[in-house]
Amino acid sequence: MKTTEDSPYRAKIQQTEIKAQRPDHAMPVKQEQDDWQPAHAEQTGLSAKWWVLLSGAACFVGFSVFEAITFIDTHFATAPVSTSILAVLLSVFVGSLCWLTGSEYRGYRRVNTFIDKRPTRNALVALSQPSLAVKKLDAYASHFSSGSYAERCYRRFKSMLQGDHSVEEVIKLYQQYVVEPVRKKANDVIKKEAMASGSMAFISPNHLIQTLMLLWISVRTIKRVAQVYGLRPATAGNWKLMKILAQNLAAQSLFDLATDEMTNQLSGSLAAKLVENSAEAVAASALNVRLGKALVKLLDDQSDDKKLGDYR
Amino acid sequence: MRKFIDAILTPAKQAKALGANQWQRWFLQSEHRFTITGLSRSGKSMLFTSLMTVLKYRSEEQYQCLPLLRFLPMELVDKMWLEPLGNLPLFPVQEHIKDLEAGHWPPATESVAGFKLVVRLRQAHQLKKYLLPYTDVVFEFIDYPGEWLTDLPMLGKSYTQWSDSAWAQQMNAPQQRYAKSWHDCVNAFDFEQPPTPDRIMQLVDAYRRYLQEAKSQGISMLQPGSFLIPGSGFDFTQQGFTPLPSRISSDVASPWTQCFTQHFDAFKQQWLTRLKKDTFRQTDKQIILVDLFEGLNHSRSHLYQLRETLSHLADTFVYGNENWFKRNVLQQQGIAKVAFVATKSDLVPVGQRDALLSLLKDVTRGATARFKDGEVQFEHFLVSAIQATDEGSHDNALRYMNHEGRYMEAEFEALPPDLKSMPAEEHYPVLPAAVPPDYLARILNGKGLDRLLQFLLEK
Repeated sequence: MKTTEDSPYRAKIQQTEIKAQRPDHAMPVKQEQDDWQPAHAEQTGLSAKWWVLLSGAACFVGFSVFEAITFIDTHFATAPVSTSILAVLLSVFVGSLCWLTGSEYRGYRRVNTFIDKRPTRNALVALSQPSLAVKKLDAYASHFSSGSYAERCYRRFKSMLQGDHSVEEVIKLYQQYVVEPVRKKANDVIKKEAMASGSMAFISPNHLIQTLMLLWISVRTIKRVAQVYGLRPATAGNWKLMKILAQNLAAQSLFDLATDEMTNQLSGSLAAKLVENSAEAVAASALNVRLGKALVKLLDDQSDDKKLGDYR
Repeated sequence: MRKFIDAILTPAKQAKALGANQWQRWFLQSEHRFTITGLSRSGKSMLFTSLMTVLKYRSEEQYQCLPLLRFLPMELVDKMWLEPLGNLPLFPVQEHIKDLEAGHWPPATESVAGFKLVVRLRQAHQLKKYLLPYTDVVFEFIDYPGEWLTDLPMLGKSYTQWSDSAWAQQMNAPQQRYAKSWHDCVNAFDFEQPPTPDRIMQLVDAYRRYLQEAKSQGISMLQPGSFLIPGSGFDFTQQGFTPLPSRISSDVASPWTQCFTQHFDAFKQQWLTRLKKDTFRQTDKQIILVDLFEGLNHSRSHLYQLRETLSHLADTFVYGNENWFKRNVLQQQGIAKVAFVATKSDLVPVGQRDALLSLLKDVTRGATARFKDGEVQFEHFLVSAIQATDEGSHDNALRYMNHEGRYMEAEFEALPPDLKSMPAEEHYPVLPAAVPPDYLARILNGKGLDRLLQFLLEK
């Protein structure tokens, strides 16, 4: 394009040479591999949950052995060592379970802080400057635990921001690069946990162990979904989730009764037992999904005037 | 009725003849035909180069470009490739990249080139994954000299109508300033003499000199633009014509009027009809590139002239609703989405971009008024195909490297938000920014392409 330095008109651009070094533009950030996994995958050694599982299994084996010994020698007083070992194992199991449940419970109180700090869409739109919207989102994102999926998504969102984006576009980008991927990842975790829950229910030998398994998987689901959203491990849930968890346990017990009755009516055959276990597995899986969905709904409110929000 | 039945049966017959390919086109391809309409120097070639580069690096290297483009999610892009478009030569993207590497801007387009860009998206849906494993998003682009575009409105005119309107334009600012020699030549010309090849060439040469001078001074409405560059295939040395003063053109018995009418009709039949059919084929989306800097660089009257040109151009395309039945069964198609794009927006500092957008809306006012109510979706965008400038010391300043290698800071006074606010005696000289050595990063960091593509592609 020809410039008009010899133009008869007054130029409305004043130009001066400057001595500064011209900055080099960096290439845009590359997309990272979506290989994020809940923190448990990177842990080494036995976690408290494994202690619960193993000690539970040990109890089961111990009691079975004990029952076998009793069957041989019905006299309890004659086996003090065995009973002592069984008592210790049972104590460890109950103790670990209490510790795990207690630490999860402590998180219930903290999660409300996380939810309350979530910015609303309307509040963000009302901001005149995109930089203010980003600042507000930054403040919220500071609650994402380090290494969480939400934190990783937020970093990607920040790398996408450009100087000419409007507030509306910043919100759309936040939706696209944080809210949607986090929700998708949470649903993936729920699916996996539901599968685990169903498998446990299928192979559990009795209702007590099945209930304990369900409790354990449910607590684990809450924790893993919370990790996706950037809540620190063992800081998930609130009383609503507890209510759903209790409902799940009650529903599972009722379902057990129903399947027992069905098995009795049919026969005591292996096939009937298989049907019973399968039905219980499906129920356990569905109940776990219900819990997970309730958690996602709580952490990822979709209304404009509420929190975090589906910014569509 | 017969025509209607034929229209319904044609796709079925085609499907039978083409077999699997046609089924693939119907179920696995989503085609987006773009007409990129841009006057000469509006930045079409650089936009194409940038678009292809950005999509390539986004798809193949996973660079996070085009963040606002939700229609082509990065995680679903499988691959991207180019295909020839009909018999058109392939767009010379590699040559343009080499030019940039050598520190030159891509040269002005002097012939037509096209390409089909196919982006294959993986299917995300669990069930569809097995039935329709992928979707191909096909873009069709054609690059052509902007000079050809301004000739299209001539198709709807007779020689006399065109001659009178061209003459009227030359009598007004800003064209009037550059037409003096041409007018002197016509005034001295003896139209009583019969039109011989030599006399015709004498007029055509004088008229071409006027067109070239006006073009170099930023005038966009120059007809016939095809006379300015080679490549059209129309031989203006044998069948040349020029506008004539109305005292001649209104005399249908004048041998000059008869001769030029004959040449004008040949120009329409041999060149313009073919041009419209081959290059400006049926599309459903249109990007109209507008170089506001050409007007800002020269004067307010240049901007008024640009508005008039865009208004005339809008008359030459068919606009209408994107209706599936009309498009696929009745084979009728109009342009349903139009994006008005001010290119080279990086040449304006951040603090003045709102004013630039407002000015763009005002300049395209005549064109948007022609769209049928509600049937055509249109939007205005600021795009920089390459970020050739840097931020200045404040919001109304920017920095750039000029061709002498000097790093300059340019401070802008407020840009006019509309034409009437543009002072008649002031102008904004265009900044002669050189190609930056880190051109690739600056192409990938270009602004506005994602917004533009998202608007055009979203349902």
